[in-house]
Amino acid sequence: MNKTALPLIVALAAAPLVLSGFQVTLLTEILIFALFAMGLDVQMGYAKLFSFGHVLPYGIGAYVTAFALLHGWPLPLAVGVAFVAVILLAVPMGWLCTRTSGVAFAMLTLAFAQLGYAIVFKWTSLTGGSDGLSGFVRNPGPFGFEGFVSREGFYWLTLAVVVGALFLAQAFMRSAMGTAIVAARESEKRAVALGYEPRSLRVVAFSVSNAIAGLAGALHAGFLLFVSPELLHWALSGHVIIAVILGGAGTLIGPMIGAALFVLAQHQLSAITDSWPLVMGVLFIAFVIAAPKGLWGMQESIRARLAHRKTNRMGVTNVAP
Amino acid sequence: MNAWQLLLTLLLNTLALASLLAMLTVGLTLIFGIMRIMNFAHGALYMFGAYAGISAARLVDSFWAGLLVAPLVAGAVGSAFEYFLLRRLYKRDGGSFLLITFGWALAMSELVRLIWGSNTRDVQLPEILSGIVMLAGEPFPMYRVFLVVFGSATLFALTYAILRSRLGLLIRSISQNAEMTHALGVDVGAIRSLTFAVGCGFAGLGGFLAVPLITGYIGMGGAAIIDSFVIVMIGGMGSFLGSAVGSLLVAATQSFGNFYFPDLALVVTYLLMICVLLLRPGGLFGEEE
Repeated sequence: MNKTALPLIVALAAAPLVLSGFQVTLLTEILIFALFAMGLDVQMGYAKLFSFGHVLPYGIGAYVTAFALLHGWPLPLAVGVAFVAVILLAVPMGWLCTRTSGVAFAMLTLAFAQLGYAIVFKWTSLTGGSDGLSGFVRNPGPFGFEGFVSREGFYWLTLAVVVGALFLAQAFMRSAMGTAIVAARESEKRAVALGYEPRSLRVVAFSVSNAIAGLAGALHAGFLLFVSPELLHWALSGHVIIAVILGGAGTLIGPMIGAALFVLAQHQLSAITDSWPLVMGVLFIAFVIAAPKGLWGMQESIRARLAHRKTNRMGVTNVAP
Repeated sequence: MNAWQLLLTLLLNTLALASLLAMLTVGLTLIFGIMRIMNFAHGALYMFGAYAGISAARLVDSFWAGLLVAPLVAGAVGSAFEYFLLRRLYKRDGGSFLLITFGWALAMSELVRLIWGSNTRDVQLPEILSGIVMLAGEPFPMYRVFLVVFGSATLFALTYAILRSRLGLLIRSISQNAEMTHALGVDVGAIRSLTFAVGCGFAGLGGFLAVPLITGYIGMGGAAIIDSFVIVMIGGMGSFLGSAVGSLLVAATQSFGNFYFPDLALVVTYLLMICVLLLRPGGLFGEEE
């Protein structure tokens, strides 16, 4: 946790006191998408597992939350049960998907997500088909607690979950297992030689990543109080990948910034022109070519260069660039 | 309609759909084989070619003009993209290609909507293709017969070119070992560009050929790209035989599935792909990576 984090969190927590209702809604949407992108980064940035089907845990998290809310469960409990459901599904799926790597892995995750989409779309009696599910509310509780029911209350719940998930994910990535995951990404052979099992490590990264995405999906259902097969459409998988690349994969915080920019740009551009995907696509191409490490990576390399220049001016040589 | 006639109709539908799908995936396979790129924009090119072909066909009032223009336009757009953007990325890993072509797909789908609008578009079939033929006492659309004939002829010609011509030899050698081929004095860059353009051209051709069956609509690219990814993964990336077999399998699942279990046809298609990938990660005819 660096010195900018605390003021930022305080500012975000105080935001509903000064912002309008619409702005709080937008901020909630940004936080949820940021959580989704951060989750994807755990497997994409740290384990180099390109998932083109990250909508699957997101959509399942959302649908399970919707079912639970429809049955009158309290909101925090509904989110919790969705989280557990996604983990239960992610572990065996991760075990299957990590049989492959690279493009095959990306396509396998895409296939699973499409399978989920097809099931949700066709199983009308359970999921409402293309109409989706609506008509549920943020049920109060447990113990009659009504703090999360209002728009602001839900915003604070989202903020707490997102900040908590970020710190946990950062701690996980710094832990022995997190560094082992990165080691297996960098050189599988050496990781094996050191006694690690790369595939198990990848399954762990996959499951953590899916669990976070499931949490984001659960929050999404509680936020919009509506779920539809659009949540499982492959285009959304693409959008979240864009957010990760935009911000800088492998940094956790970068993808969250990328996600914020993505949602803001989408809102601003769609107000000006209907053709925001065109602008988005061109911007994205420019980013992949010019800044492969994303915004956060750019920021870091500029900082490193500045530091390097400083040391040079002081007449110090033999400093690694 | 008795059981045999039904079977025959479904089989012919399968063949017609398979040649359409093969047209689309053969381009993807060609590009993957030589460049190791999974081209996400293939679906958008398919749509772009379809719309360009429809416009050309309307302009000169001839279906055949569209058939000629669609692959040319898609090929030209593809090679412009390759020339200006993809070339900068050859030294990077496969991930960046997936990402940049995804951005391209996003931009190009929107471009189609900007140029041609959101309405669906159809094309007038020439008289020779618009009738029906009687097969074993059952009517069958002439256009589907044309698809089967045209599709298999094109694929046969392409396979022959790859296996017998000097260019085909070079393409195969580059996909085996690009550095060694380069060291032998072959302009690898030029052949890559050409192959990419041809692959994109096939996407455009497939798009235009699909219009009389499904009519052109915004979003046809998205549906197509998922289908063709499924086929390429089932057949094995970079294998022509795999693409053909994969197209047949997926076409059969969809034709027979839509008739016997319409609600599960899609589910079965994805399950088929998942099973193949889990049993053979490289696909039926691909090499394991």
